Amino acid sequence: MLRSIELTVRNDLADLPAIHDAWERFGAEQQVPASVVVDLQVVLDEVASNIIKYAWPEGGSHNFMIRLAVCDGAVEVEVIDDGRPYDPREAPAPVQAAPGSRPPPGGRGIHLVRQLVDRFDYERTGAENRVRLTKRFA
Amino acid sequence: MTTSGLKIAQGRSGAVCVVTLTGRIDNSNAKDVIAELDALIGSGEKNILLDLAGVLYLTSAAFRALLVATDQAERNEARLALCSVTGHVRDLFEMGGLLDSFTILGSRDEALARLS
Repeated sequence: MLRSIELTVRNDLADLPAIHDAWERFGAEQQVPASVVVDLQVVLDEVASNIIKYAWPEGGSHNFMIRLAVCDGAVEVEVIDDGRPYDPREAPAPVQAAPGSRPPPGGRGIHLVRQLVDRFDYERTGAENRVRLTKRFA
Repeated sequence: MTTSGLKIAQGRSGAVCVVTLTGRIDNSNAKDVIAELDALIGSGEKNILLDLAGVLYLTSAAFRALLVATDQAERNEARLALCSVTGHVRDLFEMGGLLDSFTILGSRDEALARLS
């Protein structure tokens, strides 16, 4: 049986805690293992914050949608926005530090996402970016 | 726990200022961590220990905050070290390729013994 929830999110970082709370509640209800709930908290934070920060460079107020579904031992995450075309899978790998120095501060978000999910798909349909992520737990 | 999901507490052990983070560190609240550390370093603290024992998870925004603060500490001839980096939080540091980018000192007691 597929169970899902849909969240409408504003392009405002202040909306992130509501995503985390909704997923924590839904994941627990669906008996998703705690470690998987946490992994997807990180994933949701990275993907949603990228959209909030970069999808609408012209600014203004926008919404995007997150759908979370649990089915057959896997969590499916779909994130749909109507911002500028952007395939997050193309994000460059983080810059490595030179020996004896620290790496530059940014650019690690999508690198984490790649390691935390089993599938990472993207398509541009019409005016929308659709990111689909799958995390298996059974 | 605040509404942002992160609690920041400050204490002192001898010459070491201990900052205890509890909850989640993500894109909604990493700026609070930067502000706290920025203020401490700016006020002249030379030994800062960040205890992550109560952190449920952190995201790239936290790494960014910690890298910025570590650079700032260095410019001010201060030391910023981390302790209680274990379990899933440690895994995330490893995924970020950052275990070697910080001074990570085991438990709080071990860290205080090293820093004092």
